[in-house]
Amino acid sequence: MANRKKTLVVCVSAAVLLVLVTLAGLFLTPMAMESNLAAKNQVPSLMHLFGTDNLGRDMLLRTLAGLSTSIGIGIVAAGVSSLIALILGTAAALGGKKVDACITWMIDLVMGVPHIVLLILISYALGKGFWGVAVGVAVTHWPSLTRVVRAEVLQVKNSSYVAVARKMGRSPFYIAVHHMIPAVLPQFVVGLILLFPHAILHEAAVTFLGFGLPPEQPAIGIILSESMNYLSLGMWWLAVFPGLALLGVVMLFDLAGQGVRKLVDPARAQE
Amino acid sequence: MAITRRNFLKCAGVAGIGAMSLSMGGVLSACSSGSSEGAKASVSGNANEVVVTMTPASEPASGFDPLFSWGCGEHVHEPLIQSTLVTTDTNLNFVNDLATDYSCSDDGLTWTFKIRDDVKFTDGKPLTARDVAFTINGINAAEVAEADLSMVKKAVAVNDTTVELHLSKPFNALLYTLAVVGIVPEHAYNSKTYGKKPIGSGRYVLEQWDQGQQVILKANPDYYGEAPKMERLIVVFMEEDASLAAAKSGQVDIAYTAATKASAMPDACELLVCKSVDSRGISLPTIAPGNKRSDGNAKLDAGNAVTQDVAIRRALNYALDRETMIANVLGGYGTPAYSVSDGMPWASDDMKVDFDLEKAKSILEEGGWKLGSDGIYEKKGTRAAFDLYYAATDSVRQALAVEFANQMKELGIEVNTKGASWDDQSAKGFCEPILWGWGSNSPVELYDLSYSDAWGNFACYENKTVDIHFDAALAKTKVEDSYGEWKAAQWDGKEGIAPQGAATWVWLANVDHLYFKRKGLTVADQKPHPHGHGWSLVNNVDRWSWEG
Repeated sequence: MANRKKTLVVCVSAAVLLVLVTLAGLFLTPMAMESNLAAKNQVPSLMHLFGTDNLGRDMLLRTLAGLSTSIGIGIVAAGVSSLIALILGTAAALGGKKVDACITWMIDLVMGVPHIVLLILISYALGKGFWGVAVGVAVTHWPSLTRVVRAEVLQVKNSSYVAVARKMGRSPFYIAVHHMIPAVLPQFVVGLILLFPHAILHEAAVTFLGFGLPPEQPAIGIILSESMNYLSLGMWWLAVFPGLALLGVVMLFDLAGQGVRKLVDPARAQE
Repeated sequence: MAITRRNFLKCAGVAGIGAMSLSMGGVLSACSSGSSEGAKASVSGNANEVVVTMTPASEPASGFDPLFSWGCGEHVHEPLIQSTLVTTDTNLNFVNDLATDYSCSDDGLTWTFKIRDDVKFTDGKPLTARDVAFTINGINAAEVAEADLSMVKKAVAVNDTTVELHLSKPFNALLYTLAVVGIVPEHAYNSKTYGKKPIGSGRYVLEQWDQGQQVILKANPDYYGEAPKMERLIVVFMEEDASLAAAKSGQVDIAYTAATKASAMPDACELLVCKSVDSRGISLPTIAPGNKRSDGNAKLDAGNAVTQDVAIRRALNYALDRETMIANVLGGYGTPAYSVSDGMPWASDDMKVDFDLEKAKSILEEGGWKLGSDGIYEKKGTRAAFDLYYAATDSVRQALAVEFANQMKELGIEVNTKGASWDDQSAKGFCEPILWGWGSNSPVELYDLSYSDAWGNFACYENKTVDIHFDAALAKTKVEDSYGEWKAAQWDGKEGIAPQGAATWVWLANVDHLYFKRKGLTVADQKPHPHGHGWSLVNNVDRWSWEG
């Protein structure tokens, strides 16, 4: 199989798996919240593949539902983040020196504060919960992609074919649609996809620390945080499976992102 | 190795990894001491001292100052470093400490205490009635004092051995508060320094306090009473996991634990189960939504559309199978709770209800509720569904809330559990059912939760008859005579807060306080532990001893 085809298969498989996990999680969330204290603290078995927790909740269902929540937040956060990055990156590149200086300064400012601190503050100020975390992740993850977009747009803006297009009397809109977007899109899409794992990990981290989702909601951060109370009793399955599942999802996104980069980046077309 | 939190945390990590190894079929990491014989001395090697773990929250934030909270704050206990006017025995009868005699005037407004003349503070100065008056007036003057002695208008030292307390209203339950208020020296009290360097006249003296780590108390050589058998008490503050690890590694003599961890008991230890009045219960707002209630300067939303219906509140009480809840959540380490004062002399038997699901359903149906197609009762378009808030950081409360929700689903009431911070809960205290922890060795707690304008009347239940019973109880000149009125306030045959009456709360369980105790250590009989898993254990540490 050709390399490009292989990459495409890996990409599509990763995407399908992630969609399946998301849908399964959405469908299973009500069941994941059901508890049966008569069946609490059970080790993994055929009945409960990931075991049960201290409230008798099935850990496989909780993990799937948690992943689904994390992916949901990842989608919202990465989508909003990349939109902010697209707008600010383009504005910085095309808007003149003052606008560029202002946006660059904002990028430096946000990047100067540790993500997790900023995220905690924003999430807490917004009352925590799904939207608190999603907004928190969204407004803290745009700077790096903004830099990429700004650099790409600047490069294209100064390219000879854009100069020729201008000389030929093409409108700015025409140039944007026919020259700018096709040139910037590959990097932008790759950046967008690679924002997902970052967003998911930060969601899990902020929830783990108690500033994210409420404890009754299935979320990987909560599952891992709760598991800490029971590790000393030997209930390893509470942390191991959800932790590995989170790692798996993050790696799948990364795999998909790297695959897309190989497929759309002209510089890597021969790999 | 020094006993520091860092060392214990290291041990916790080691124990955690060891336990994981066990579960995965690996090598057992056992307790360091497998001896089944009783120890003859503390882990420190001394036969006259004991090392105890407590929760980090048990460390007094403002030091050992009764004018802030030491002994008489949210979690009450004997102050150890200071003497009190009176104290209580294991049956909660009053016993004199500093007092040699006391009496109340017929109108209930003046309490006169005669005190001992042979008591000295640890700086050598005598303790007089002026110090008692200074302490009580000081608590009322201090903005941050947690003890409520607001009913005392003024404390007056008549002479060196007589002090009079002049009250603004009859309030005999102040004796229970005085039993935990340590007397401080007027001549040596400075609110800025006293907490860290307390001078008292109690059984123990503060030897060392490493903030965030440990407190060491040593016996007061000039104590006027029986000399403590246990000459040194070392209290180490740590989290639950670290406490378990400390017990496993044999670094402490008594380690607090929770029901969820009781099964992990080290071989060298035995489980010390202390009965408690540490009650978990759910407040049920009894008024319609749209009301407001004052909380300090704030006006908070009050009332709940579902729990305002008395049929719902009563049904919740009858539909709860407390025994099953205790078995499922607490592993059996608890007793059913029916009130905030189970087992206390002022507890009413009328608060007790037997589990009866059919009766609960018939109460709902007689109250006009009809079973909906989704299995949840409805009445005039209102579903029998409400949110139940609990402290998100407390896994036992979470489990109790979930079990409660599961049981109520069987009844046909939907309970949605919501973990929240203390701030969030406080804001919803009067408008949403909240799973609380309460309980103390004093009827004041019952008063605070049920009197019409009391600060803790989260059920917003106002009833003049109930208030009259409370007032009558507090007006008795002898505390022992007041029990009947306390009981009548709960149910007098017609009205009250009991399940057959207003059913203002549904009480779930009294949580046993559990400790891993090294074999060989004899712990003196305990009073029922109040809410707060901390210093109550060592109320009588002076009478503990080691085998042989």
